[in-house]
Amino acid sequence: MTKALTVLPTQNLEPFKGVKKIALEEYFTSGHRTCQGCESALVMKLMAKAAGPRTVILGATGCMYVANTTYYSTSWVVPWMHTQLGAAGSAAVGTAAGLKALMRKNRIKQEPINVIAFCGDGGGADMGLSSISAALTYPEYNFLILMYDNESYANTDIQLSSMTPYGANTTFSPPGKARRILHKRWKKNVAGMLAAGHPECRYVATVDASYALEMMNRVRKALTIGGPTFIHSLDPCPKGWDYDPIQSHDLGELAVETGVWPLFEVEDGVLKFYGKSKSIAQGRKRKPVREYLLRQGRFAHFTDEDIEYFQKKIDQMWERWLIPGAVCIAMSDDIKKALAKSEVELATAN
Amino acid sequence: MTVATKPAAAADKEMLISGCAAIAQALRLADIDVVTAYPIRPYDTVMQAVAKLIANGELDAEYIVASSEHDQFEIVKHASAVGARVFCGSSGVGWMYAMEAIAVTPALRLPMVALVGNRALDDPGAFGCEHNDALCVRDLGWMLTWVDTAQEALDTALIAYRVAEDPRIFLPCAIGADGAFLTHSETIVKVPSKEKVDQFLPKYDRGDKLLHPDNPITIAPQVNEDWVMEIRKQNDEAMRRARGVIQEAFRDFHKIFGRQGGNPFVESYMADDAEVILFGQGTLSMPVKVGVRKLREQGHKVGFVRLRWLRPFPTPEVQEALGRAKAVGVVDRDYSFGSPNYGAVLYNEVRSALYDLPKRPHVISFICGLGGREVTLDSVVEMSEILLKVAKTGKVEQPNYWIGVRG
Amino acid sequence: MTGSVEVVYRGIFQKHLGQRITRGIVLAAVKEGKVGISFGRYGDSPERNGIPAKSFAVVADNEEELQAYLSRYEPSNNDVTVAVDDTLCKGVESWAWYGLQPINKLTRPGGTVLATSMQSPEELLKDCHRKDAEWSLAVIKAIPSFSGLWVYKDDHTDVRVLGAIARLAPHVVKLESVEAAIRDEWGDELKVASVRKAYERVEIRKVRPDEGNPEKPYEFQLPKWWEMKEGLVIPGIPVKQEVEGWEGGYRPGRNPTFKKFSTRTMRPVVDFEICTKCTLCWLQCPDSCFDVTPTGHYDANMEACCGCGVCEAVCPVENCITMVNEAAFADNASQFETYEKDKDAYKTWLKGKIEDKVVTYRSHGFRYRGQYEEELAQMAAGGQLHSGVQSINEEPGAGPG
Repeated sequence: MTKALTVLPTQNLEPFKGVKKIALEEYFTSGHRTCQGCESALVMKLMAKAAGPRTVILGATGCMYVANTTYYSTSWVVPWMHTQLGAAGSAAVGTAAGLKALMRKNRIKQEPINVIAFCGDGGGADMGLSSISAALTYPEYNFLILMYDNESYANTDIQLSSMTPYGANTTFSPPGKARRILHKRWKKNVAGMLAAGHPECRYVATVDASYALEMMNRVRKALTIGGPTFIHSLDPCPKGWDYDPIQSHDLGELAVETGVWPLFEVEDGVLKFYGKSKSIAQGRKRKPVREYLLRQGRFAHFTDEDIEYFQKKIDQMWERWLIPGAVCIAMSDDIKKALAKSEVELATAN
Repeated sequence: MTVATKPAAAADKEMLISGCAAIAQALRLADIDVVTAYPIRPYDTVMQAVAKLIANGELDAEYIVASSEHDQFEIVKHASAVGARVFCGSSGVGWMYAMEAIAVTPALRLPMVALVGNRALDDPGAFGCEHNDALCVRDLGWMLTWVDTAQEALDTALIAYRVAEDPRIFLPCAIGADGAFLTHSETIVKVPSKEKVDQFLPKYDRGDKLLHPDNPITIAPQVNEDWVMEIRKQNDEAMRRARGVIQEAFRDFHKIFGRQGGNPFVESYMADDAEVILFGQGTLSMPVKVGVRKLREQGHKVGFVRLRWLRPFPTPEVQEALGRAKAVGVVDRDYSFGSPNYGAVLYNEVRSALYDLPKRPHVISFICGLGGREVTLDSVVEMSEILLKVAKTGKVEQPNYWIGVRG
Repeated sequence: MTGSVEVVYRGIFQKHLGQRITRGIVLAAVKEGKVGISFGRYGDSPERNGIPAKSFAVVADNEEELQAYLSRYEPSNNDVTVAVDDTLCKGVESWAWYGLQPINKLTRPGGTVLATSMQSPEELLKDCHRKDAEWSLAVIKAIPSFSGLWVYKDDHTDVRVLGAIARLAPHVVKLESVEAAIRDEWGDELKVASVRKAYERVEIRKVRPDEGNPEKPYEFQLPKWWEMKEGLVIPGIPVKQEVEGWEGGYRPGRNPTFKKFSTRTMRPVVDFEICTKCTLCWLQCPDSCFDVTPTGHYDANMEACCGCGVCEAVCPVENCITMVNEAAFADNASQFETYEKDKDAYKTWLKGKIEDKVVTYRSHGFRYRGQYEEELAQMAAGGQLHSGVQSINEEPGAGPG
């Protein structure tokens, strides 16, 4: 019997050093049937471009399945396969495991092949969360799970998911005469939750395709570092958010500038903010969420109180969380004191 | 020209093992690549056996303990798409939990082999045997076979891979094994050598359907009404072809291993001249065969026919085996509430298969042995007597009987 | 007597508009004691912003007639085909099928295509494919009305179309019944007035079979079941297309089956002279529509551009990329090739496209809260150019501004 390989090597994907150095090749190309200005389609393009040709991609049910691969045609250059709505994690594990077994048995060439499974917020944060969580506990397989979050079940006609922002108009939460706000849940903090809960997962990041270079380099890092990794992308959706598609890019930027969408990466257990979120974390003033909300038809029914409530929740995220935007708990005062004391002792001892 | 002589294949090794352990041996011999586990009785016994093989280095496969049955089946589904030989399985509501993944596999034409350790569906939670779990896939494009003994379990698992992975077929195959009676009972099983198995079972070659950077394809795009019927028709044709491929596989199996020489689709026991025949599948055969012998001693022309493949359904063989009888009793270890005559699944399948015969036997439905209840010798006699009466009078007083229910 | 109307609209942008029109037809027909049904083409859902979709209304004197008509999934003998966006006259490719369907394909011989447009029927006819029968092209003068899923821009386009239908196909709905239905549904006399004006002012032009765009639209033959690869497998796209004389340039492989010719309502025009080659349009395009030219410019390939406008939004150079109404273009030629052939001629062409704001203006939905109210207020004031309904008060044929 051949000697078991414990972990296969990954491709060494160096960061693209500047926009001029980005590869010309597209591995997710034109001819998909997404909406005008679809930011999730941009995420697919940048993700595939960052990963390169030796890649297998699995796509869970959702817009990026239905609109991208209308039968008899496809927009994928690299091999691509559909997986079920809640199965992104399992698809990644199964594909990586199959490739690994066949390489070990010399049935296919031994080489690093990127495995990426993507899912939307419905597939990732709702139905498939358990499958993703399980996947992130298998350190012997190399893959990236990318969740493109357009904040609703956008393919099926914009029904709310656990990632839909508070109060947004969706077909499952229409503003009515008796209840202006039908959806009162606050969005899950998926990247933070997965980073905090999976100590063997070496890389978790949030990204925003409006910052394309940064986004691609995070994909490259996730694929290079090895083991199971996770990226959460926030994607403005002209259909579900109800805005002129020309605004897609601006809204992606505004999400970061208002602090609604913090950009961070957790590498080997250490969290770093990057891009504009880094300066926000260091004290730069956030833009008011009002600017972001009122450019989207889904919030057109908001009163001033609703906007204030939204702003307050974002303020809390930056001011009260243990790690802003990532860990939504704070420490009690006595623990803070005790930790501060032991830090002093540690410093003295050193 | 020199002729290379093959090394003499080692003799079969006899082992005292359960049906589940026998399947684990088949998996070792088939050199599977990826296997997933998740606990539910009684199927999980096979995974306990597989885990030992992995731990002892006897089986070289990616062994993944999953977080649910749905994960289990999705993982192997995707491993199969990149060319790995896979195994999976479940029981009862676990099988139902995985149903989405199970349902999508046939259209993807992935030759997954799965074990269903038949178990009653919750609620109430029950561990005993019932066939309704596996029967849920009978319309979906899975090949579906039931085994009777641990030996047959081992042999069938090897045959299942051979048929499923045949490029003319590429359909998944589920092996039904009666919970407890087969999964947990240990008998002597002939375990063949790896050389012989290699002769019988070629490597899984996915050809131009392989998902790999060297073969950039898109698998399973979204379709609309312009395409679905054509895709379903392709699956229908593959299932039609499966019949011939199963026969081929049994012929070769017999040649190489010296076993499984009989009819691949039905086992007939004292049925050739029988006036009345009991018909069923799985481990039912043991008490029924005993009953048949007993009734024969008393001068009654009773026989037994065991169905081995439910999908593809062997219509000609069933017609041939049952057509001459005066009355047939279909023993269902399942239910289909509200179905014609309040019969059950197998009953309705058999009635439909016999319908085109110019002279049809009467068909009676017996629902028996649910939830793992034993099918006793007395039950067999009771059912036979009902059939003998129908045969004698030519009248069906009651189309359906629940046998062994208190009341 | 049975009658039917097909409304072809831009997915999501005009979803509510399309539904309002077909619902309005049925509600009006009911006023005449008829029966009717309103439905969307199921294969068009889930809709995408911009990708053409359809909604239908069928009315009949009784249930039996209606049932007989509905044995069709998609009515193919429509009295009126409504194109609520005039660029749909170039042809329709739904996201559910392949091939380009001429706008008048499902219009019955002698029937009418009705468009909301700032163009005259004469101009619009150049876009419409020829039909093997006589038909009519009618126009309601208006900038096509676009909004989105949650906020509807109530600029009376819906009721104006209903008024025009009453004129074009009175056997489907009569003017009085449309008015009655609108009073019931909305209780708004201004809308009723709009119905009547549209009824009076809709411009109609008879079209002979030898008139219109002679081009044969792209058709797609569906394969037989045994011709399709088993296992739901289709080939991926080759990574690159070789272009002669393009050393150093890059044209990615593109989906050979689905093109975006009929998805677009605007397209970018590029001033290559002031382009700094910053890569942003190319990088941020969700449709990967830009070919990289050997000179390092980015040329929007019209088979792939869906007209979202993101390139204009990200371009750091003023007036380098400008989104222009798709109606202003007669072909899908490469702008870079035209530029290379004759730079001065290109400059003149480009200037014309950018400056002709009458043609270029399009509304593409929600940009900020209050925008639609502002536009509707302009409408009320009358005579303002940038509103979808300003032309209500104009005489037919009168040019805007």
